[in-house]
Amino acid sequence: MNPAIGYVAIAAVAIASALIGFYGLRVSRTTSDFYVASRTVRPWWNASAIGGEYLSAASFLGIAGLILLTGSDALWFPIGYTAGYLMLLLFVAAPLRRSGAYTIPDFTEARLESPWARRVTSILVIVIGWFYIVPQLQGAALTVRIATGLPSWVGSVAVAVIVAGVVAAGGMRSITFVQAFQFWLKLTALAVPVFALLFVVASGAPAALPPVEAFPPSAGPGDHDVYRTVSLMVALLLGALGLPHVLVRFYTNPDGDAARRTTLIVLGLLSVFYLFPTAFGLLGRAFAPDLATTGEADALVLLLPGRLVPGLWGDLLTALVIGGAFAAFLSTSSGLVVSLAGVISQDLLGGSVRGFRIAAVASAMVPLLVALATEPAGLAGSVGLVFAFTASTLCPVLLLGIWWRGLTARGAIAGMITGAVLSGAAILGGAAISAAVPGVRPLLEQPAAWTVPIAVLVTVFVSRADRGRVPRGVDAFLSRLHVPEHETR
Amino acid sequence: MTDEQPAAPPQRVRVTAPRNGPPAASAPARTGPIRRPTPGAAGVAPHAPTSDIQGVYVRSLIRSQLRIGLVFAAGFAVATALFAIALALTPALDVWTIAGVPVSWLLLAVGVYPLALTVAAIYVRAASRNEARYRSLSELGDEERP
Repeated sequence: MNPAIGYVAIAAVAIASALIGFYGLRVSRTTSDFYVASRTVRPWWNASAIGGEYLSAASFLGIAGLILLTGSDALWFPIGYTAGYLMLLLFVAAPLRRSGAYTIPDFTEARLESPWARRVTSILVIVIGWFYIVPQLQGAALTVRIATGLPSWVGSVAVAVIVAGVVAAGGMRSITFVQAFQFWLKLTALAVPVFALLFVVASGAPAALPPVEAFPPSAGPGDHDVYRTVSLMVALLLGALGLPHVLVRFYTNPDGDAARRTTLIVLGLLSVFYLFPTAFGLLGRAFAPDLATTGEADALVLLLPGRLVPGLWGDLLTALVIGGAFAAFLSTSSGLVVSLAGVISQDLLGGSVRGFRIAAVASAMVPLLVALATEPAGLAGSVGLVFAFTASTLCPVLLLGIWWRGLTARGAIAGMITGAVLSGAAILGGAAISAAVPGVRPLLEQPAAWTVPIAVLVTVFVSRADRGRVPRGVDAFLSRLHVPEHETR
Repeated sequence: MTDEQPAAPPQRVRVTAPRNGPPAASAPARTGPIRRPTPGAAGVAPHAPTSDIQGVYVRSLIRSQLRIGLVFAAGFAVATALFAIALALTPALDVWTIAGVPVSWLLLAVGVYPLALTVAAIYVRAASRNEARYRSLSELGDEERP
């Protein structure tokens, strides 16, 4: 690949993001921006912004790579990432908007009237955010290496520094329109190349693998590992409920009803978006099967346009996907760093502006160290594990807190710690344990199907044993969550 | 909430939404587009139940919202599972190709999204209908009280 294209595309997106960030410093200085936004932002804009923040390296590069690598099992990833918003709609969107909570720790503290529940939730949010940023930085490393030939660490460091700098300067905060723009940029950066590639393929240019080799039934929908698929779905459907950077966006809806309509639009936008990484993956199986064997599967989206479209047009399409990928890393990471910095500065550093800046740098640097120290696994798989951890820890508390008046602070804390220990042990210690006991390997690689129910049961049992400590304000709080805002409409 | 927690740092400002005032029993519909923050911010629930009968209405609203949430989630899960099983049990779909891609792959790639969207769209209407029913019940209840 011509490195000049890579440099130009990455520099353009980085400079644009930095400029928007610093411009944002002027327009988003006060909390009253949220008030303004909550009156004026339309569901359509809000939904685009949620999509812009949500679609990360895993969606942009990882899904196509995983389809190339493992076949139709990978098609469940985009289904789960999308249907997570269905669960959000059914159980969380409207009540959480009405709660007035701005972060998940705010919600647990208000619901359970317990600063300890808040602290445990904050720690989990920070851990989840850090481990969600790691694959973004690894995606950046891959993209920079493929696009420019520079060593991998350059990409991780560049994204971490840009994000930390922009967020610490105060930009990227509450700028709904920027994130909304990012969604449409990412969609364009995948959709245009897909249509171009389909056109080239239809006009009969390169030789494809015959269908039987490209799409063998052994990798097809007829040959599922049922446990793994079910467990992955549990993780993705429920994990989406607890993602720290997405919740903030619901706040800019004027009321619970608008939150529901926004979520419905998000579902539509994601459904359209995921057609394109899927198309990339299917094209890759037919036209670039060699990438699966060289360990470069996640680079499929970046490499395929240059392979199939010769000359200048190929270069332009490549520049577009590189720019889109970089936009994905920057927008998701900055959304996460903003939410993490908010939680860290509120809970540990007294909530000052200076504290926020220190927290922003810490939020970007810790995952950078992890990303540099670890060998990158597949992007979609790594993010899937973060979803499994979120589903086992924050999701039970969120769901029971919204729908069950019997939840107590002790029950919530016990459930969160149980879920964190079990899913954390399965994710981190999985390789070592399954080497000793081979039969448990799927259980450890996709733990959500058993860790989520256990976390829920522990939460419920401890809360029942502790029923004398049901918060006094629970009825008022629950009615605030569920009663519609307006008298009549 | 924070105001009632002596252990929480007192200087923290919770960003809360502008809300309507508490629903006054006999108030007519909103008189204008202006929305005021609730006095006392986070510490006061704007819809605190004012009587036993209101509490009953709220509990029944929560129960019915939870019920439709669970029904729609179960419906989605069952339909998706049946779809996946049908794909797995129809080997003919692996052989039949469109543009070189087996139909079973194409169906799995695009088939679940319309289902999720349909479930979501119907749910949004059902949830709003529940809330409308709650509103008319609670207004009726208010009028009957002396």
